[in-house]
Amino acid sequence: MTQEMQFKKIVAQYCSVKPEDMTNDMRFREDLGLSSLDFMSFLGELEDTFDVELDEQDALKVITIGQALELLEELQ
Amino acid sequence: MLIRDILEESAKKFADITAVKWLQKKEILERSYSGLMENVVIIRKGLFAEGFNKKHIALIGTSSVEWIESYLGVITGSTVAVPLDAGLPEEDLIDLINRSDSEALFLSPKNTSLLAGILASCPKLKKVWLLQDEEAGADDAKVASLAELKTSGKNSSTDSGKPSPEDITTIIYTSGTTGKSKGVMLTQNNLATNVESVNYTTEPGSILLSVLPIHHAFCLVMDWLKGFSLGTTICINDSLLHMVRNMGIFKPQVMLMVPMMIETIYKRLASADPAIPKKVLADNVFGGNLKIIFSGGAHLDPYYIDKFAEYGVDIFEGYGMSECSPVISSNTPEDHKAGSIGRPLSNAEVSFKDGEILVKGSSVMKGYYKMPEETAETLKDGWLHTGDKGYIDEDGFLFINGRVKNLIILSNGENISPEEIENKLALNPLVGEVIVTGEDNGLTARIYPDQDVIQVKGLDEEAVQTGIQAFLDQYNKNQPTYRQITGLVIRKNPFIRSSTKKIKRQEAMIDEALPTT
Repeated sequence: MTQEMQFKKIVAQYCSVKPEDMTNDMRFREDLGLSSLDFMSFLGELEDTFDVELDEQDALKVITIGQALELLEELQ
Repeated sequence: MLIRDILEESAKKFADITAVKWLQKKEILERSYSGLMENVVIIRKGLFAEGFNKKHIALIGTSSVEWIESYLGVITGSTVAVPLDAGLPEEDLIDLINRSDSEALFLSPKNTSLLAGILASCPKLKKVWLLQDEEAGADDAKVASLAELKTSGKNSSTDSGKPSPEDITTIIYTSGTTGKSKGVMLTQNNLATNVESVNYTTEPGSILLSVLPIHHAFCLVMDWLKGFSLGTTICINDSLLHMVRNMGIFKPQVMLMVPMMIETIYKRLASADPAIPKKVLADNVFGGNLKIIFSGGAHLDPYYIDKFAEYGVDIFEGYGMSECSPVISSNTPEDHKAGSIGRPLSNAEVSFKDGEILVKGSSVMKGYYKMPEETAETLKDGWLHTGDKGYIDEDGFLFINGRVKNLIILSNGENISPEEIENKLALNPLVGEVIVTGEDNGLTARIYPDQDVIQVKGLDEEAVQTGIQAFLDQYNKNQPTYRQITGLVIRKNPFIRSSTKKIKRQEAMIDEALPTT
């Protein structure tokens, strides 16, 4: 499984959109319907799954799937 | 009854038991009940030695052992604590420090970016202590560290006398329907009798993981003060990003949560591979020992109670508000009914007026700080008007079935005053009329643009949408996540108004042309 698909599968736990239907411009809260806490929990799972450490303040500024994927790539 | 008595009793009974555990990087640090009490007394003596007697002292920071020891140092002496939400914008924090007449401040080292603004705009502030072990090393003589305050306390032989049960001990700010947050004044007796009256007990040394914001009454009184009264070991969740990870690290037996947390955890449980046995999954997510979750702050769908029971975790819902210190009623392991918010506590008398729940008792606040009109509206003949509608069933369990006031209660327990946000959004010239509604666990701004501005500027629909969205994005940047606007609806028609020309909030979703008369 590619990293992007693994990432989208984590997102899919918190919303009703399937990983294959997710696009990079989709916003976590407005388009995918994640609550503020869903989003934080998702960020925590990203850290555990991909063994990265996020700066909480920076991570909370992320709005879209594309931005989160970019952040993840930067940290690896 | 005094919090100081409860704490001193616990320090004697549970001296060697761990009171607090927390993470520093990956290492678990801990403080025993005797160690905690020693620090509380030193901080109290330090405050007294530095001349803070009967003064208000604000605290800004997230949960930490230094925060709670400082809070207890304040409230076990002659001073009044004002816990503030570290996530608020700087201008709001400055306003609250000034409106609460705080003369000193404990500030988390994570929030030192606020320091310059606070020092410049809070003239009554005589001292700021950074919640750290190292010296502050600041140029400003007003700024010191907790370590320096403790040195003052160690060098002082005089302790502050005990407060009286009716003394104000804590002022907690809560959203007001008038658009201005209100300082709920709670006495020693208010807090201590709430701690005593919540009918829950556990073995000393039981593990509790504290995940709620410490400036909220639910967390402060029920995680911390109630936990300390029982000899509980309270573990600090360092970030909401790591709640599940920290459940694995600390292996809590009990937790207090708001419904949004329960909903988020359930999404993880429900999306797991069905082939994984529930016990294995529960151990993985909850850490292996979690048996009880107390839920409060907002109503929980009973669906989750049944679902969590399948994973071996019982959820007990309760009900309260800052004005009642905070618990009014709660389900307990011995006595519960799903869908209800439990029986009223033994120190709370409940009655109803036009369906609204009224509460009287020893945990009801003294009033709102320097807001006599708001106090008179809420406290009438000793009865606190909760703003919630409800009833008691034939078995004595309380149920909620609506709201009287306009507050939006999000499932993370945050109370949002729509008027407060509407007043800010209305400042944009494009915004003609605005109503903020709570939808899908977030806030939606429903806006009828100012037609004159549109005409003068010659804007089309897209330009209006883009302009308002840009304004909302800017607004959101300075707000904590729970006050951000995540939905925008541009209306085609003005809002429906009552005969007194007030917008009918209940009909805010209807967007139809008004009948011409």
